[in-house]
Amino acid sequence: MPDKIFLHDYKSGKRYTYRQLLEDLNAVSDLERYCYKQDLYAIFLAIIAANLYQIDLVLLDADFSYEELQKLRIDATKLCEKEHVNASFINTIDELVGRLTGNQDWELTLFTSGTTGIPKSVTHTFKSLTRAVRISSRHADDVWGFAYNPTHIAGLQVFYQALLNGNTLINLFSAARHTVLDFITSFQITNISATPTFYRLLFPLTELYPSVKRLTSGGEKFDGALSEKLLDFFPNAKLRNIYASTEAGTMLEGVGDIFVLNDENCYRIVENELYVHRSLLGKGDTTSLEDDEWYPTGDLVELIQEDPKKFRFLQRKNEMINVGGYKVNPLEVEENICIHHAVKQAYVYGKPNILLGNIIIADIVSDAGITEKELRDFLQSRLQPYKIPRIMNFVSFIELTRSGKLKRT
Amino acid sequence: MLDKLLEIVNTVRNNKGLATLSDLKPSQDLRNDLGFDSLDLAELTVRIEKEYGIDIFADGFALTVSDILAKLAK
Repeated sequence: MPDKIFLHDYKSGKRYTYRQLLEDLNAVSDLERYCYKQDLYAIFLAIIAANLYQIDLVLLDADFSYEELQKLRIDATKLCEKEHVNASFINTIDELVGRLTGNQDWELTLFTSGTTGIPKSVTHTFKSLTRAVRISSRHADDVWGFAYNPTHIAGLQVFYQALLNGNTLINLFSAARHTVLDFITSFQITNISATPTFYRLLFPLTELYPSVKRLTSGGEKFDGALSEKLLDFFPNAKLRNIYASTEAGTMLEGVGDIFVLNDENCYRIVENELYVHRSLLGKGDTTSLEDDEWYPTGDLVELIQEDPKKFRFLQRKNEMINVGGYKVNPLEVEENICIHHAVKQAYVYGKPNILLGNIIIADIVSDAGITEKELRDFLQSRLQPYKIPRIMNFVSFIELTRSGKLKRT
Repeated sequence: MLDKLLEIVNTVRNNKGLATLSDLKPSQDLRNDLGFDSLDLAELTVRIEKEYGIDIFADGFALTVSDILAKLAK
């Protein structure tokens, strides 16, 4: 049993068994408080070890720049801080799962691009992180295609679903199309959870993938036409659509783009916006709570049936731009562009794009003759790659509203 | 047309720090040979649309340089 594969990672070219994982866990002595790593196995090992020994952990994206870390108020000198633990011997996967699930109050902190331009931290407990995880013998033989960023909420959900069932994880995140398709067949992957963008980039498909039982889609607006096309090539798969957020984890499961609101104690719709009860939220910024109880998600919905309440998502209320499942705050990008001495003014917005949902565009006013390449190089040291505008238009003026704000349409 | 496409491809490549290519071959795969990821492909579509008024991913998918040329020739 411990010889079962825990993780196959195309990036490192390595394959780790559960035996290897247990050996590495049994050998730990000093645990980091911050996880700021590239290697997928190292990230997973850090999370499991912290969970096991109840050391609270802060999860950072490996591509956060020094400036971004400063904004998150993370002291770079503390990134290497460690806490000593006395490893206890774990023999089996069941024993590991029992120990992990016993630490319901263990805390993991991650970051989300805040709607005001300042990224904010959200602290989840093991309990809130794994609310949607199903542990059952029915899942014992699942093989997971891992297609999300491991330091984001969706990736963590898939990771725990697989780990707590002793499943094999096959890394597909950022993998080339042909690698993904090869792996689905060669590892007989049964479950994939990914953004619509990930699925869109698998096309054109020519072969059938009968091993896949479940395709989960989330992080972006549901794409009905895409779902139908997927079923042609994944004939044994059931599709499901998940609504989740960094603040609350997995919340609702939809059939197609229709969600049922079955628990009025947890969810309510006010003026077409979905609100979530604080009992579902991780710990974090509570200033946006209304009456100290309800969190406005910023997602606008259309009610299509009253009893029971059924709805579909329409759009974001705020200005966050969804780029292939990553939420980009245009204010944060504008602020960073304007730090460059040659830039007078910048306006950042999303343009609908069939591949990614949206692509980031910047209109820039500069009278110092800066080039797109120079500005891009400047931004590369400050922002994660998906936040950097892919098209920069140099313009002579940017229209302002009467209150002097950028005009957003 | 190939020259203009080469210029656009090189803009996207240079933007991500890849070297300028001297020519394009129809058989080249956009991801494997030109080194484009999903963000690069989206940028490529916007730049091509700006130049030719055609969204190369609007009716199905383009994997190779010749796929793009076929869509632009329509």
